[in-house]
Amino acid sequence: MTNVNGTGTAFSRRHILGAGLALSVASGRAVRAQAPVSLNFAVWGNRAEEDAFRRLIAGYTAQNPHVSIRLELSGSSGQLYQQVDTRLAGRQAPDLVRIQYQQVGRYAKAGAIVDLSGHLDGGLAAQFAPALWKAVTYRDKAFAIPHHTDTLAVYCNMEMFRRAGIELPRRLEDSWRWEEFIRIARTLKDKAGAPFGFACAWQNTAAYRFLPFLYQNGGQLLDEQLLQPRLSSKEGLEAIAWAQSWFTDKLVPPTTSIKTNEQTQNLFANGTIGMLVHGDWQIPFLQEAMKQAEWQVTYMPRSVSMASDLGGNCLAVTRDSKNRDVAIDFLRYATNEANMRDFCIAAGFLPVRRSLMDTKLEYPLRPDAMQVFVEQSRTIPDHLAATVTLPDFSRINTKLGEQLDLAFTSGQSPKDTAENIEGTIRSVLKG
Amino acid sequence: MSNSAVMANSVRPATAARTRRSFRRPWMLPYLLITPNLLLFSAFSFFPLLYAFYISFHDWSLIGDVTYAGLANYRRLVADTQFWHALLNTAVYALASVPTTMAGGLLLAVALNRRMPGRVFLRSVYFLPVVVSAVATGIIAAWMFNEHYGVINSLIVRLGGDRIPWLSSPAWALPSLVLATFWVRVGFCMVVYLAALQSIPTLYYEAATMDGASPSRQFWKITLPLLRPATFLLLILNVIHSFQVFDLIYVMTGGGPGFSTTMLVQYIYQSAFMTSEMGYASAIGVVLYVIVLGFTIIQWRVSRQSENVL
Repeated sequence: MTNVNGTGTAFSRRHILGAGLALSVASGRAVRAQAPVSLNFAVWGNRAEEDAFRRLIAGYTAQNPHVSIRLELSGSSGQLYQQVDTRLAGRQAPDLVRIQYQQVGRYAKAGAIVDLSGHLDGGLAAQFAPALWKAVTYRDKAFAIPHHTDTLAVYCNMEMFRRAGIELPRRLEDSWRWEEFIRIARTLKDKAGAPFGFACAWQNTAAYRFLPFLYQNGGQLLDEQLLQPRLSSKEGLEAIAWAQSWFTDKLVPPTTSIKTNEQTQNLFANGTIGMLVHGDWQIPFLQEAMKQAEWQVTYMPRSVSMASDLGGNCLAVTRDSKNRDVAIDFLRYATNEANMRDFCIAAGFLPVRRSLMDTKLEYPLRPDAMQVFVEQSRTIPDHLAATVTLPDFSRINTKLGEQLDLAFTSGQSPKDTAENIEGTIRSVLKG
Repeated sequence: MSNSAVMANSVRPATAARTRRSFRRPWMLPYLLITPNLLLFSAFSFFPLLYAFYISFHDWSLIGDVTYAGLANYRRLVADTQFWHALLNTAVYALASVPTTMAGGLLLAVALNRRMPGRVFLRSVYFLPVVVSAVATGIIAAWMFNEHYGVINSLIVRLGGDRIPWLSSPAWALPSLVLATFWVRVGFCMVVYLAALQSIPTLYYEAATMDGASPSRQFWKITLPLLRPATFLLLILNVIHSFQVFDLIYVMTGGGPGFSTTMLVQYIYQSAFMTSEMGYASAIGVVLYVIVLGFTIIQWRVSRQSENVL
């Protein structure tokens, strides 16, 4: 076969070669796109959370059959961080991790999680609660996507409350004042047969759950610019003294200070305490463990203002992920509106997408209790959220726990406690 | 004959010759035999030890970059009251737990060395906490010592006493840990003493009995001196164990209340994983290593001298 310029054979060969090359490149791309991808996803959680994560993975892998995602389950957030940190040091971290908002800054500052800002749509940030989107950003770049939130409220043993003739507040605005809360705790102890009035779930690494009480009293851990400590203020000292009085007045079990491994939900379930300050994720456990006893949830107590804790988690991709694009695609899938709603309903969490936050979700387990948590979540102070998401907050949190524990168990004065915590805050903020 | 068979036949005489040559040099054989052990020891003990020493001169958050810090971590350690507190706690814990556990183990070994019904069963019962995971025994101990629903306080209340705040009072927390350690470690001491007791020739006792020595005199003059090597061994192992204790305390008290049960390893863990200061944690680790090494050398020398005397 010849063409008009007599270079028929050469032209034809070139074309054939070119076409072959193009085909091979194209087919190579197609092969690469569909090549099996396997991801590891490290999480912690209870049974309900595990099931919800597995459903999420099943949904994604059904749409993307070439992707397999292995769920790695840790017993607690603390265990997960130890494992992930160690594996990051060995350059073998899982592709995807579930982390608390308080930990984003630490991982982002160290470059351990991937900057997602170049991979996400420009308008995505506006779709999330501003405080929580801010919590996943470090130096104006998003390093994770918010997945859900949770907060603290007060679980009440209704059998004891009836015996003591106490009614629960029906509206957030009617939540108990501090004095009233203490009076009720005493009454439960004296008249309702409760060995102790209540307990707060701030054990182990959750010392930051003291902060809602500080903010309720008008105090702050740091100043407005987050540059200097402010715990030694009158409000701060009062808040420490108030929490200390729970222990000195024997209103809480002495084993429920901060440096213990006491499981406060067990104390509530077995009737040792009449009230429990804990999060919404305890609902499945209490529903299972307290089949014979009735319990309700009411709002956090208040002093000059209302406040609760910033809880919840986000999802991030680690620097060791060899399939970042697929991992980020999974993050987008896990945090889209439909999947966020399904996860929150199944595992008992609060959504963080604006479109879902004003929607009443149909929680199958104790929707009445979940409604209290939903309302309480609106009282999380922005300043508290900004404080606990500082990159070095984990060091402050450790000192907070140590010193509060000394105040609660060894009689250290609120002034010394606040000053010791402030010393660490200054050195952390300076560094 | 296949190619592989030909090759195998040609290789075999050479290998056999090499092996024969190796055996002709007897100094090589021990090195060959310990090579796998040395490799594993180097990979999992020696290299991490050197690396910890290296890291102790650096700042490292485990997830970030390593930056040189010179002697800063050691200077900080000298001025750190929490470090000295943890060191003191560890020393007190060792002083309280080692002699009691060893004495208990010796008593049990002497008792269970005699012919008695259920002897094997009882030995197993006492040894069981040694083979069970320390975390599991720690959880069980925490339940037993729980102030509100623990079995120990229930017994005390039934006997007319008051509840003891075992784990929530700074005064009681360390004694609780010593008691729990006794329960966990006494079986190990018992087994070592049992083995040592059974290696003492009976003719010593027969001769002593013929000379009219009472059982207690036989114990003090024959049994105890002949158990000296086992005692030294247990002393070294138990002191090292006391300085390295972590899991039991982590589960039972978390180092609290306050700092009353914070031990050196607890403090290392806290610095490494809770405040992400791996360099500082390594510096404390190096100090702990030096303490344990020093104690081991002293005891080893004393032990050798004692053996020479015997």
